[in-house]
Amino acid sequence: MLPRSHRVDATLLALLCVALALAGLAWRQGGMERVQEGLERGGALLLWVAPLLLAAFLVAGFVQVLVSPHWVERWLGAGSGWRGILLACIGGALIPGGPYAYYPVAAVLLRSGASLGVLVAFVVAKNLYSGLRIPLEVALLGPRLTLLRLMLTLWIPPLMGFLAELLFGARVQAIRKAMGP
Amino acid sequence: MTTATLLLWALALGMGLVARRRGDDSLREGVRAGLHTLRRTLLLMVVAFVIVGYVEVLAPQALVQDWIGPGSGWRGLVVAEAVGWILPGGPYVAFPLIATLYRAGAGLGPILAMITSWLMLGLISVGFELPFMGWRFTAIRWGMGVAMPLAVGGLAQWLLG
Repeated sequence: MLPRSHRVDATLLALLCVALALAGLAWRQGGMERVQEGLERGGALLLWVAPLLLAAFLVAGFVQVLVSPHWVERWLGAGSGWRGILLACIGGALIPGGPYAYYPVAAVLLRSGASLGVLVAFVVAKNLYSGLRIPLEVALLGPRLTLLRLMLTLWIPPLMGFLAELLFGARVQAIRKAMGP
Repeated sequence: MTTATLLLWALALGMGLVARRRGDDSLREGVRAGLHTLRRTLLLMVVAFVIVGYVEVLAPQALVQDWIGPGSGWRGLVVAEAVGWILPGGPYVAFPLIATLYRAGAGLGPILAMITSWLMLGLISVGFELPFMGWRFTAIRWGMGVAMPLAVGGLAQWLLG
């Protein structure tokens, strides 16, 4: 796996290529005037959401400082059955950090005896409820879409945890073995 | 959008107060962590918004409406989910792009399917999941998840029509 800074560089490079290709398309469509139009439109949008973004990043920073991963881990590790799955959903919503921060925690939990259902619920809850992403989602997609999205996906992590445990829970040893050393 | 701005600033201020009342370095640490993330992603966001600007200026509205418009039905949901798998970058790139497609005439069902798909099935995060969790876990989690964006989009279309 590439270190974080290289990943960002690769993403940035890919995005720059897309931006250039789009600028070329605009140029073919209407010359420099059209190229400038796209740049101005993007700049105006960025300025429009700038105050929102600043607040969103501050909230993310505070969550990172105020919620400790150890606390979440303690509550997740103990549970089993529906209680474990619901705790995993809450833990997934609360645990701060990107994939490079929560997958290591998830891997430790699975190795040390947490059930498959708990881990599936944890990962999917992190994906869908993540408290850190929601401020950004509100800022960039608007409160209405964000609220609708949250309400319509609320049932997914517990259901997937429950179904994963029901269908594949007995094979957790093989799943652990596939994790490698 | 002003409601969202006020909401987020109230949240940030409230959390800042909680951090301050701790009496340790939490306030400064929180601000520092937030600004650090902002600095790290600023360039990415500028480029992302340039792309968003071009997509908006060039947006083939007829094409968007045809493929993932409000009347696109199940085919629109499937297309939206597949777009969600491959959308690039973090939330600062994916969310503005999805918002642009919504403004260009995409339907509510396909848009919600796309957001859900990007959040839980995005191939970029699978790149992190595989080395940590192993292929069996990843296959089970991802495979079971494939139906979910379609269900969310279908639910939205059925409820809000």
